[in-house]
Amino acid sequence: MSTVMKIENLQAKIGDKQILKGLNLELEAGKVHAIMGPNGAGKSTLSKTIVGHYDVEVLGGDITYKGKSIVDMDAEERALEGIFLSFQHPVEIPGVNNAYFLRTALNAKRKHEGKDELNAAEFLRLMKSHLEMLGMKSDMISRSLNEGFSGGEKKRNEILQMLILEPEVIILDEIDSGLDIDALRAVSEGINKMKDGKRTFLVITHYSRILDYIEPDYIHVLKDGKVIKTAGPELVAQLEENGYDAIEEE
Amino acid sequence: MNLSNLKNCNAEEVATVLEVEGRELLVEKFASLGLPHKMTEEYHYFDVEKLLDVEYKTLNYIPKTIELGDKIEIVDGVVTKAPKGMRVYSEPCEIIDMEHFDALYYLGHLLSPHIIRIEVDGDCHVEILHKYTQSDALINYRIVISNQANRHTTMYENFEAEDIRNTLVLYGYDMHIAQDSTLRMVRLQTMSDKKYSMVASHKVSIAKNANALLKNFDFGGGQALQVLKVELSERAHVDAGHLLYLNDDSKRGTASQIIHRGEHSTSKQEAKNILDGQARGIFDALIRVEHSAKFTKAEQNAKSILLHEKAYMASKPQLEIYIDELEASHGATTGQLDEKQLFYLQSRGISYVEARKILVIAFANTLIEQVKDTRHQERIKTAFEEVFYASNKG
Repeated sequence: MSTVMKIENLQAKIGDKQILKGLNLELEAGKVHAIMGPNGAGKSTLSKTIVGHYDVEVLGGDITYKGKSIVDMDAEERALEGIFLSFQHPVEIPGVNNAYFLRTALNAKRKHEGKDELNAAEFLRLMKSHLEMLGMKSDMISRSLNEGFSGGEKKRNEILQMLILEPEVIILDEIDSGLDIDALRAVSEGINKMKDGKRTFLVITHYSRILDYIEPDYIHVLKDGKVIKTAGPELVAQLEENGYDAIEEE
Repeated sequence: MNLSNLKNCNAEEVATVLEVEGRELLVEKFASLGLPHKMTEEYHYFDVEKLLDVEYKTLNYIPKTIELGDKIEIVDGVVTKAPKGMRVYSEPCEIIDMEHFDALYYLGHLLSPHIIRIEVDGDCHVEILHKYTQSDALINYRIVISNQANRHTTMYENFEAEDIRNTLVLYGYDMHIAQDSTLRMVRLQTMSDKKYSMVASHKVSIAKNANALLKNFDFGGGQALQVLKVELSERAHVDAGHLLYLNDDSKRGTASQIIHRGEHSTSKQEAKNILDGQARGIFDALIRVEHSAKFTKAEQNAKSILLHEKAYMASKPQLEIYIDELEASHGATTGQLDEKQLFYLQSRGISYVEARKILVIAFANTLIEQVKDTRHQERIKTAFEEVFYASNKG
């Protein structure tokens, strides 16, 4: 097993409340890991901690990505290194053109990797195929970033960013919330397109519905700020039947 | 001339100091308001006393033969060029608002026995360029603009300075917007000299069913105040907005009164302010709805972003309402850049510095994109980005 990210004894708080209480988790490269757990278990805090969100204060423990600690890295450094979070509630930014934003982000990454920046025409060509696949209207790229987008459009836009930036570790925070069946299918298709055996997914979800579309390799149950059980996809059915309370800490 | 000599003067003394003959009503009006000082409401946040108490060189305003040009060009207060067919005159002012709240509106008229009259025919686009070449001077001029009923005019106002150090510019418009017409005035000010001052004191009368769009994009240095009084007749509409970007220790802004006199009149006033360094921004705006203005709609909003802990924004949106049958709202917010938006951009690999620039430009663009003409919209965007990037290198 090749580990791309290792989280050891992670303790973190938001405000005065400690939420992660000694969390341990290993992400195997190229696999789909689902994090499931009840409300308040710390799922979203875990995703925020991995990407370096300003709300979170790390109290102890470590996160290593490709063998290097990232807890002291800025959010943009983590992104440039290949860590991507698809937000549960993507923020609206009036006045920032969606295409301009995407190209700026892509070119920042290309520059970081020592590649040439893409010009506007090259970028549009790249984006066009992704738009079709995600069932996105072409005018969405000329609109302000997420402004006035429906819930489904925002999630598709997150996946569009993922497809363009081609990250290595992809965290999907409640990607299925607020999506109808068609949107869920389109979003899942985008995600599955990225499953190439090299990229690693961390799918954070309340419900198993999304896992019908994105087949997980591992299920991790998170409760009270710790991973209490890790198993194969068969655990989903058990959770569906008996709920989280029936899971005993390993 | 030192304008502080007019301090506490009665009408007779004002006439003597300014060497004005006749124009008694105007002199009395100015004397009754008195020279502005720091307690004068519209100048409260503006160091007006300091800029009036300076010995300025006075200029002779001798009308010149107006050459043909692609725009109206006004050099140190004198028209030098105008487009073909444009009616531009120099003549005594016939209509002066005798209820204006700004003393410098009257002082401007008293110092300008002749005004520049621009009569706009038909549907057209006009550009006005103000050029300044004199340092240490008091440059004073007033412009009267009138259009025709049922016509639609767009005016773009720009400024250029060869030398404006330690100069005080007092200018302003009296605009008479005719019934069922539209007048759009888009003002772009980028003069970066830190040692000049400008007070632009305007009066805008909007007749029945007429529309006025007054957009002020102010990215200049130094000290400047736009004083604006707008009167709305029945079913008249005004959309007044300003975008302010200030840096260093500049002090600039708008003090305005929008007065609804006619029924079903509507107003929208939107101010966006971006302040860096030790700059001080001013948005002191009153919307007054009079008894005669039933079924009015009035909307006023000011948003300010402070990019430096020493920057200061004086926002004072006010509503003064004398009737019940209306819709009105107002609000002001002042803060820093949105943390969530900054983080979202950073989470995609965009650096903090670049994300900050993107958000500031986005904030500005929401107002700039209200300029429908794409050429002028791009011009304003470019001007903003040039000024902003110049003061945010790195």
